Amino acid sequence: MEPHDSWQLVSLSSLPLAALVTLVVLVLLGVVMACCGVRREASWRRRALMWTLRGLAGVCALFFLLEPGLRRLQVMRVKNRVAVLVDRSASMNFPVEPKGLSRNDAVADALTRLAPDFQALSSRYAFEVLGFEPELGAVTPEQLKASPPRAGRSDLFAALRAVKAGDSGGVRKLAGVLVLSDGADNVDLAGGLGERPRALLQQLGVPVSTVAVGKSGLTDLSIDAVKVDDFAFVRNSISAEVEVHGRGFKDQAVQVVLKREGTVVATRVVTFTSQDETQTVKYTFTPDQTGRFVYTVSAPVYPEEVVAENNTRSFALKVIRDRVRVLLVAGRPTWDERFLRGVLRQDANVELISFYILRNGTDESGVPPGQEPRELSLIPFPRDEIFHEKVDTFDVIIVLNFGHEDASISLARYRRDMERYVEQGGAFAYLGGDRSFGDAQSSALNPFENVLPVSPAGPADVSPFVAKLTEAGARHPLTALAQGSVSSEAAWAALPAIPGLNLVRARADASVLLAHPTLQVDGKPAPLLAVAEQGRGRVMAIASDATWYWAFPSHAAGAPTRNFERFWNNAIRWLVRDPDLTTLSVTADPSSVEPGRPVGVVVVARESDYTPAPGAQVVVELLDADDGRLVAQETRETGADGTLRLEFPPPAPGAYKLRAVASKDGRPLGEGTDAVAVRSVGPELADARVNAALLAELAKVTGGAAFDSLSFSLADVPLKEPPLVEVGRSRDEALWDRWYWLVVLISVLGLEWAVRRRFGYV
Amino acid sequence: MFSRRAVLAAAAASSLSARAFGDASRFIPAVARHAGRWDARASGLRRLAWELQRRTSVEVVLEARPLALDSPRLFEHPFLYLSSDGPMPPLAPAEVENLRRYLTFGGFVFADANDGSDGAGFDGSLRRELAKVLPRAPLAALPTTHVIFKSFFLLDSAPGRFLNRPTLEACVLNKRAAVVYSQNDVLGALNRDEGGAWEFEPSPGGTRQRELATRLAINLAMYALCLDYKDDAVHLETIMKRRR
Repeated sequence: MEPHDSWQLVSLSSLPLAALVTLVVLVLLGVVMACCGVRREASWRRRALMWTLRGLAGVCALFFLLEPGLRRLQVMRVKNRVAVLVDRSASMNFPVEPKGLSRNDAVADALTRLAPDFQALSSRYAFEVLGFEPELGAVTPEQLKASPPRAGRSDLFAALRAVKAGDSGGVRKLAGVLVLSDGADNVDLAGGLGERPRALLQQLGVPVSTVAVGKSGLTDLSIDAVKVDDFAFVRNSISAEVEVHGRGFKDQAVQVVLKREGTVVATRVVTFTSQDETQTVKYTFTPDQTGRFVYTVSAPVYPEEVVAENNTRSFALKVIRDRVRVLLVAGRPTWDERFLRGVLRQDANVELISFYILRNGTDESGVPPGQEPRELSLIPFPRDEIFHEKVDTFDVIIVLNFGHEDASISLARYRRDMERYVEQGGAFAYLGGDRSFGDAQSSALNPFENVLPVSPAGPADVSPFVAKLTEAGARHPLTALAQGSVSSEAAWAALPAIPGLNLVRARADASVLLAHPTLQVDGKPAPLLAVAEQGRGRVMAIASDATWYWAFPSHAAGAPTRNFERFWNNAIRWLVRDPDLTTLSVTADPSSVEPGRPVGVVVVARESDYTPAPGAQVVVELLDADDGRLVAQETRETGADGTLRLEFPPPAPGAYKLRAVASKDGRPLGEGTDAVAVRSVGPELADARVNAALLAELAKVTGGAAFDSLSFSLADVPLKEPPLVEVGRSRDEALWDRWYWLVVLISVLGLEWAVRRRFGYV
Repeated sequence: MFSRRAVLAAAAASSLSARAFGDASRFIPAVARHAGRWDARASGLRRLAWELQRRTSVEVVLEARPLALDSPRLFEHPFLYLSSDGPMPPLAPAEVENLRRYLTFGGFVFADANDGSDGAGFDGSLRRELAKVLPRAPLAALPTTHVIFKSFFLLDSAPGRFLNRPTLEACVLNKRAAVVYSQNDVLGALNRDEGGAWEFEPSPGGTRQRELATRLAINLAMYALCLDYKDDAVHLETIMKRRR
């Protein structure tokens, strides 16, 4: 602080204020009345002279009444502080202009240039140069150059509030703020200066001046945002809106591609009509498989672009089921169909669509010709619609004993459709009676032979038998009727005998889960229930259409059982790959990872009876989703709750698959997969623009100045004047008690008296 | 030209020749054996199976299987015909219990008053026994909008040998008609005497009424086999148009 002398003109009269006021009023009245007394004077010169002299006399009287004096003060001017805020967000690494200095280095140079100006004003202001990340920290030009900005976000508003917060309670008041930034705020002010930020900025009470660092003519293409739900329903279309920002791409067509883990889903072409424009591209696609997948939207990288990384943006999409859509097609009404329908209709998670052949071409309805449409409730069998046009809308197709040669209802022509359906992730179950395997072994009758896990191996065996759980069946979730393989085996053994089966042989890659206890095919127990993976789909076959014996006759003994319901519930869930029906689950946590962050993984291992599997050996792999390349691998053991958590070091941006394989004591516990998207750039680097408009608005709202380049003058920056503070005792010096003032008063009064006498008023 | 006997014999023979484990999935009419006149419609039941084979894709076994109501084998036959020409003696507790389980877990009973009684005779005894078997699911009239009236043929009434009541009654369990009861002696219209002639002349509709009774019997069998299939959305629009 520096002392200053100062003075004030004061009244030294000891009279109270009321008395002074009264006297002043009386003096003024005297002047006015005197003036009135000469108003009839014919000569205006005389009148004016007398008015002037009376006025002077009144002023002199007031002078002596008020006793004026000088009060001398000892004061100091408080040095205020000026906050110079330097943007330390990562976008300040972008160049000021193409192939030019980085924004950060340009700021460092500008601060070096301004240092003498800061010094010149140092008697009144303390300039504090602070970097904001957005936390504030003192920086010097040297430090700026030595340490490139790294903050993952630009938060101007938080920085300003932090500066203001530092103002409370201190001696040095904030006189102004100078912000050096590219204005690319991506937090509170990302959408502009809203009402609330505007009001809060005005409450700062200091002018905020801004300097836009960088030029707006940069060339850059960026995927600014992808608006899409976190999850989608399988076989239902979903839309993703992608915001593509082009700067310097006027009249150029840019191809924007949506891929799912390396496979192109859709391509759109965007044509920009101005130099700085955001266009929204809408993709509508239909996920055909459940699970989590990484989708990537990308635009080509042009050589003149400032940032290449923001041309790609990935997102993870979880595809789930709404209700399992089951198509049940029966070659004729049977008890198997009836009890299967009963189970599926009761399941709230199943949407059942049924088609039964109620009449063959050779059946006579007994209705007179021409009357059938009016007297029968039959509808045409929409084969094309369900097996060709809309086959992909079904999660599971169950065909029951269907082997019609009648051309009007034969399914032979849908062989390819069914193969494609299964290969692409559909689920198919075939229950065979006498129309299926036994008497219908020709491909004309059975168009499903390529999507069956079994093939005919001979005539039907009609001796009743109790189905036997195989070794594979004891472990498989589909045949798990109880907790644990022993209980499950007992449950199967307790079910009623079924009255025979078609002889079939299992495909080499199929698993036989239930078999005949004694009958053999190719030296192995004759399969009753077999399953297989095919392409992305799953298939299942039962070599009998008498499974209803596990439903209705099982109640004959008296004890109610729900084994038939449980069996079909398991079957549907296994066929549609219900995630809960796996013994090993793998989950990326989170499913979208910011650049530079590790990939978290949670693995839950269960025994075959679905109890937790502690101490299981788990091999977790991080694979490139595009080419399957192994990126990282970890081998760990699960904890007491069967859970394992681990992290992979930050991988390069892109789409990745997580694959885990678990085993315990040499027994495989299964495998699971998930997907994770590692973003190429965070929100900070996604946007290379200079938001000079935001900076200008910010300055305008607070009464500051906005500069569009670093070559500004500090003198043009508005700052609040530092206040003066009285720091010592005051000294009064009387002005009125001088002899010459008395001489003046007597002279004026005397002259006025003389004049009035001369003109005849006294 | 084939006689009716020849056709029936051929059908019976074909069902035997087609016998395989698939028989378990065929429609085998079972008839409840009790202390009353339970077997008065044996040929009517055979005729029903034959008509089912002839008119629909359902594969049948023609010969009805008489089964005691307390037999565990009842559970191998989800369709059971329960009738009497005259009163039915009270059922034993084991029969009541077994029949209750049969109905609860998916069995279907077609009860048919062969005597066309109302209040007395079979009607009285059936109501009495059903009150014991299914006390919480009393008999109630089935509207003609019920799926039974469109499960194969489109019908708007429920005639049999008689037309005492225009519609049916049912005990409904979990939205499923577990017992369907007719007071019109439906299978009486299909019954033949030992000489092969129709045993009864349906009244008052004669031959047309016999055809409608046959269609009703087929619809009942179809309902037992397909449940509410014809109530699925894919059928409704077409059926509604045809009914207009």
